[in-house]
Amino acid sequence: MYIYRLVFLLVLAIYIFSPNILDWWTSPGNVWYSPYLIWAGLIAIGFWLEWRRDPNEF
Amino acid sequence: MSFSPSGLLLASLLYLILLFGIAWFTEKGMVPRRWVRHPLVYVLSLGVYAGIWAVYGAVGMAAESGYGFLAYYLGISGAFLLAPVLLNPVMRIGRAYQLTSLADLFAYRYRSQWAGTLVTLCSGGAILALLSMQIQAVATSASILAPDTSPAVISVMFSLIVVLFAMLFGARRDQNSENHQGLVLAIAFDSLVKLVALLVLGGVILFGVFDGMSGLESWLDNRTSPATTMTLSIDDGSWRALMLMSFAAALVLPHMYHMTFSENPSPKALAKASWGLPLYLLLLGLPVPLILWGGQELAVTTGPGFFAIGAAQAMESPALTLLMYIAGLSAASGLMIVSTLALAGMALNHVVLPLKTPKDQGDIYRWLQWIKRLLIAVIIFLALLFHEVVGKNLDLSILGAISLSGTLQLLPGALGVIYWPEGNRRGLIAGLVVGLAIWVVTLVLPFSHTANLLAWLDAPLIPDYSNWHIFTFVSLTANITVFALISILSTSTSEENSAAQACSLGALSRPQRRELLATSSSDFVRQLAEPLGYGVARREVERALGQLKLPNVEYRPYQLRRLRDQVEINLSGLLGPSVARDMVKRHLGFKPMAQGGTAQDIRYVERALGDYQNRLTGLAGELDNLRRHYRQTLQNLPIPACSVGEDGEILMWNHAMEALTGITADDVVGARLMALPEHWHLLLDDFNRGPDLHRYKHRLDLRGKPHWLNLHKAALSGPDHTEGGSIILVEDQTETRLLEDELMHSERLASVGRLAAGVAHEIGNPVTGISSLAQNLKLETDNPDILDTADQIQQQTRRISTILQSLMNFARTGNHAQANRYEPVAIHRCVEESINLLSLSDKGLGIHYVNDCPPSLQVLGDEQRLVQVFVNLLANARDASPEGGTIRVSGKGDGYSAIIEVVDEGSGIPGDQLDHIFEPFYTTKAPNKGTGLGLSLVYSIIEEHYGNVQVESPANADTGRGTCVRLRLPAYEPETGTIAISQNQRS
Repeated sequence: MYIYRLVFLLVLAIYIFSPNILDWWTSPGNVWYSPYLIWAGLIAIGFWLEWRRDPNEF
Repeated sequence: MSFSPSGLLLASLLYLILLFGIAWFTEKGMVPRRWVRHPLVYVLSLGVYAGIWAVYGAVGMAAESGYGFLAYYLGISGAFLLAPVLLNPVMRIGRAYQLTSLADLFAYRYRSQWAGTLVTLCSGGAILALLSMQIQAVATSASILAPDTSPAVISVMFSLIVVLFAMLFGARRDQNSENHQGLVLAIAFDSLVKLVALLVLGGVILFGVFDGMSGLESWLDNRTSPATTMTLSIDDGSWRALMLMSFAAALVLPHMYHMTFSENPSPKALAKASWGLPLYLLLLGLPVPLILWGGQELAVTTGPGFFAIGAAQAMESPALTLLMYIAGLSAASGLMIVSTLALAGMALNHVVLPLKTPKDQGDIYRWLQWIKRLLIAVIIFLALLFHEVVGKNLDLSILGAISLSGTLQLLPGALGVIYWPEGNRRGLIAGLVVGLAIWVVTLVLPFSHTANLLAWLDAPLIPDYSNWHIFTFVSLTANITVFALISILSTSTSEENSAAQACSLGALSRPQRRELLATSSSDFVRQLAEPLGYGVARREVERALGQLKLPNVEYRPYQLRRLRDQVEINLSGLLGPSVARDMVKRHLGFKPMAQGGTAQDIRYVERALGDYQNRLTGLAGELDNLRRHYRQTLQNLPIPACSVGEDGEILMWNHAMEALTGITADDVVGARLMALPEHWHLLLDDFNRGPDLHRYKHRLDLRGKPHWLNLHKAALSGPDHTEGGSIILVEDQTETRLLEDELMHSERLASVGRLAAGVAHEIGNPVTGISSLAQNLKLETDNPDILDTADQIQQQTRRISTILQSLMNFARTGNHAQANRYEPVAIHRCVEESINLLSLSDKGLGIHYVNDCPPSLQVLGDEQRLVQVFVNLLANARDASPEGGTIRVSGKGDGYSAIIEVVDEGSGIPGDQLDHIFEPFYTTKAPNKGTGLGLSLVYSIIEEHYGNVQVESPANADTGRGTCVRLRLPAYEPETGTIAISQNQRS
């Protein structure tokens, strides 16, 4: 269960700071599609994790 | 640019007919199964989440709060990226216990019908707003395109088509497949249409309105207003609320639960969706800023919410306009169909069935199907009513907020299923009631302009469009607090605890081993026939038997308990977990517990652990390895062993036990000792109940042969294991017993041999006397008759002497104490002596012995032991020969070997016995005629002489009779000038 508590803590942290993160993404200096680029990066990490995952793993 | 109402209606109908066609062709099996079950289809079908938001709502929100609209997509993307820890456990529980909705999950986990009903009512109330939002979007978009049409007519017609579709393709319940494949493919098609339409519109705006990326960049550079360039600062509160609601949606929205878990083709597809759905939503969100800017640039007159249609209209492209209308239609219809279906299933299981259990129904499946169809119609009707009375006056975004904040109340309970085993039904229901009450008072009533209690009470904060998120958080916090407090303060029932264990991560349910009232699967049918009717009861029991791969009639207690679980799971899929549980509890009950407690179902736990094999890691993995090691030790123990529970149920049956009894573990583990064949049952049951801990040399006739068994027993209970039961070891003493018998027999024979040698010696003296007297007689007479008689007397006495000598020699051969004395031995003489010995006990069969061995053939060996070889071979040949038969012994030199063949004309040896004839105690002769040791002795003596034995049967291929025993021994070549003299020659 330890790993789940860590995940929970991480998710909570991201959730709390998410408005600031988005403000940073959409700050005037960035190109209009920069939020999508970072989002796509997250998806790529998700894809990589799923690809490497042992089917028997929890 | 506008369309005629009839043209718009025709386009809508054509699209919906296309949707019907896809679903229909899929149901008929005309679309390859691998396409339907492809993860891509699954991912696209999950796109139902976006609904009308994707096409209209997102652009509207982007106009107001910039990139804040992304919260609606990012929340659920986060939930899917966390699928391994969030969605997989729910899917595992749902699949294992056939829980098809969130209400089922709650009713199963919290063991409460009320929990299920409350979840259904909460979802129903919240979803009405969402359905109203879809209807409103379709009606408004239609009235934009064709200003003459009445929105009410559009709403009704659209709702009717949705009802028809959901009834036809969603209410069907296929017993072999829980999935609605036609529906899934149609919804996936809906999602695809929506995505393609938005991307096309985004592309057309980018290249048609802004002349590509550079044009857009310079257009943005020329705008300084943050509202125009979407660089508005995010409003923290509403962003967080929307993000949380979107995150929760993956679990608590009825249509998302239905598509994610109930229509899931495989765990692999969910793994693909963990990144596939976020990618799909990213693509859906990508054109949103472009559409907004395009609408602004084209000075579209519609509100920002309908910029998608307005921009297409402003570009004077009827095709693009129609495409966007169809995209909205498809998004709305997909969401409405799936959420109505999911809600109808929940209402059936948790509102209708608890009130009215289908008794005396001819066909319960058909009855359920019709009730579900009726519920679909009722739900859509209510949604339409809500829309006409309240919904059409509200903004799309506030409708969404009301709906999502209502379903958000289910999140604490849903997370509690996986992560908080201490949560109980009292806490859940109290938390839900409090949360929902706050939701109704602060959000539903004020925004629907029904009653604004907070305003009446002059509260410091009154709900409005800018602070709705505060009330969302207040209701959720109150819900969580009450849930946690009451769960901690109140006690959970044991039933709840076991369900919580079954649901929590990595836990195994540890059921008790109790005895069912039913003693066979036929009893199951009889007992279930009462609530279900005979036909349905039989079908359900047969289905469960088939799923567990059990025989048609099952009687083993362990398998009956499994069957009971499977029947409950299947009925849960049919009637919901609460009704199924009540039915199974009432009609497939256990016998009252004896002695205050029962043992754990070791076999069940073992099987469950076996299924977990590869998932156990760390300490659990090590413990599992240790368990496997000890289990294997017991299984491979070369002594037959079995363990028996206190109630006489067999818990373990090892391999040696299988070999001894010829009964496989699969057949008896989980059964009673009573279920064993009678002789085993009498022996083991009697011994298990009796006071003796050991029983020696118990005779048991198995497969027509007597066996002698030693039994030992030990109690299993001890300080670390309080449960009763015993372990029984069964030692097979048959071989030892046979050896003992043979030893006694040999001892008797040896005594007889020693007696015979003594007798021979004693007879020798008078015979020598007779011979001397005959010699004297010859010297004292010239009478030729008397001389002839004296000669004959001498000849006979010599014969007696030879026989006696042979007998004494043979009696000496049993003495193995001396090392073998190897000397040159003439085979001819050995054979001759053996024939002489056998003649003594010739049974008058007139057997002719022919000794064809050349006198020169010699081997190096112990003459007495070689005589023993030939005596045994010739005796066997004699016993097999017919009356007057001939036994021929021939010999020849072959290089350094001497080959001696003993050939008879007997019946031969069957092929299947040839492999065994040299084994000790193997005999084909009648009892008391042979010991089975003769050929074994021959084999060992020839081995000692560095030779080998071959047996050919039949010896004569023409007649198919006779046996040839061929001995190959190292030949002796006398060296020149030295003639070896054997012991016999010297004597």
